[in-house]
Amino acid sequence: MSKDKSSGAGKNRPAAPASAQQRLAAQRAAAARERIAAAQRRRRLIVTGAAIAGVIAVVAVLIVVKVVTGAGNPKSGPAATAASSTVLGRVTSVPSATFNAVGVGTATAEPIAIKSAPALTDAGKPEILYVGAEYCPYCAAERWAMAAALSRFGTLSNVGQTTSSASDVFPSTPTLSFHGATYTSKYLVFVGKETESNQVVNGHYQTLDTLTPAQQTLFSTYDAPPYVSASAKGTIPFVDIGGKYLINGASYTPQVLQGKTQQQVADALADPSSPIAQAIDGTANLITAAFCTLTGAQPADVCTSAGVTAAAAKIGAGA
Amino acid sequence: MRARTTARAAAIEAVDAGGGGHAARLVAVAAALVGVALSAYLTAEHYSHGTTFACPESSAINCLKVTTSRWSVIAGIPVAVLGLAYFVVMTGLLLSRTGNRWIALLRIAAAGVGVAMALYLVSIELFEVNAVCLWCTGVHLVTLVLFGAVLWSDSSRAISGRPAR
Repeated sequence: MSKDKSSGAGKNRPAAPASAQQRLAAQRAAAARERIAAAQRRRRLIVTGAAIAGVIAVVAVLIVVKVVTGAGNPKSGPAATAASSTVLGRVTSVPSATFNAVGVGTATAEPIAIKSAPALTDAGKPEILYVGAEYCPYCAAERWAMAAALSRFGTLSNVGQTTSSASDVFPSTPTLSFHGATYTSKYLVFVGKETESNQVVNGHYQTLDTLTPAQQTLFSTYDAPPYVSASAKGTIPFVDIGGKYLINGASYTPQVLQGKTQQQVADALADPSSPIAQAIDGTANLITAAFCTLTGAQPADVCTSAGVTAAAAKIGAGA
Repeated sequence: MRARTTARAAAIEAVDAGGGGHAARLVAVAAALVGVALSAYLTAEHYSHGTTFACPESSAINCLKVTTSRWSVIAGIPVAVLGLAYFVVMTGLLLSRTGNRWIALLRIAAAGVGVAMALYLVSIELFEVNAVCLWCTGVHLVTLVLFGAVLWSDSSRAISGRPAR
């Protein structure tokens, strides 16, 4: 009996310690899992944190180097030279048939009518005031059309050729320069002001032409709301067309001129199917239509041509 | 040895579940989708020559100047298009099997390539173009968030070498 009891007790006795051992083992396993999990979390935090911190540190170093050294500031492009006779010849003698075939072409903006502004005149003739800068890519685009349009009313001379800034939007856009240009016409007076060159001196573009107080007043007054949108205030190119129309910014995208030379642009102007002619000749027709409102539709062969008539309808000038 | 491996796998599972692994994966997917949207916008602007770009302009900030620079194209492919392709691929990787170590490694490598590219483009903005594009900066920030989230969600799995499920 006692043996039986004893043996029965001997059977039951290990049951309790076995359960405790299992609990202990389970606790140890859970603790081990937690340790591993904690180590994993630490490692993940270190890996992720260090990587992110490393990236932020690299960006910070780049910014510090930029600020300290001034690296990447505007860079000088080739200085303006006198426009070659072939370039100027092509720009100033676009065939009438091409102008007429193009119409307004792919111009995306037209001269804006100025309401109730005094006429801008010089010596009894309507004045065209152009304000731009040689580094400016939008001015680079607009000059081609301006030169082509002016040449339908007179003779443009002493024009330069250059490129816009190499470090600005639409870099190194081929163009002309109105710095030092002269214009003779029995219909119009043209004043071209390039306020800065594309040459960098001490981190800034070199000053070229200075506006007279009267020109500065025109610029401040009409290159601002309500004549142009607030976001376009002070934008160049700015053109005051006899106090009757203004141009604020480029009338087509300078993208069409990217990668071209001045000669390639000039050569393309006579081909109405060329994207360059579509943009430049189309814009020139719009500008010409605005000029015609100042000249009493003279010269008649220009102002009544099909291309200019189409452009006149676009700017609300009628034919 | 087998028991230790099992405990380790269980611990990693616990970290994934309780340590933000799933949340990090969601953040990564969200970042990749935002990257797709931003890159799609930049791609559209690239092909429209930025005529409708919604971007403030100052001497330091000029989106168009950046996106039309000669560095905006690599090997004839617009950077915006490369970015769009990258984020689409990343989205696919993030939605693929989560337990595969090699996929985890691939995700980390791809996220690293994205950050390296972003750093290269930031240096181009600062030292070559001399202007910062806000939309591009948005893409760069999304790339950094994506990198951090991928590292957080995949580093344990990639390092531990847990076999594929």
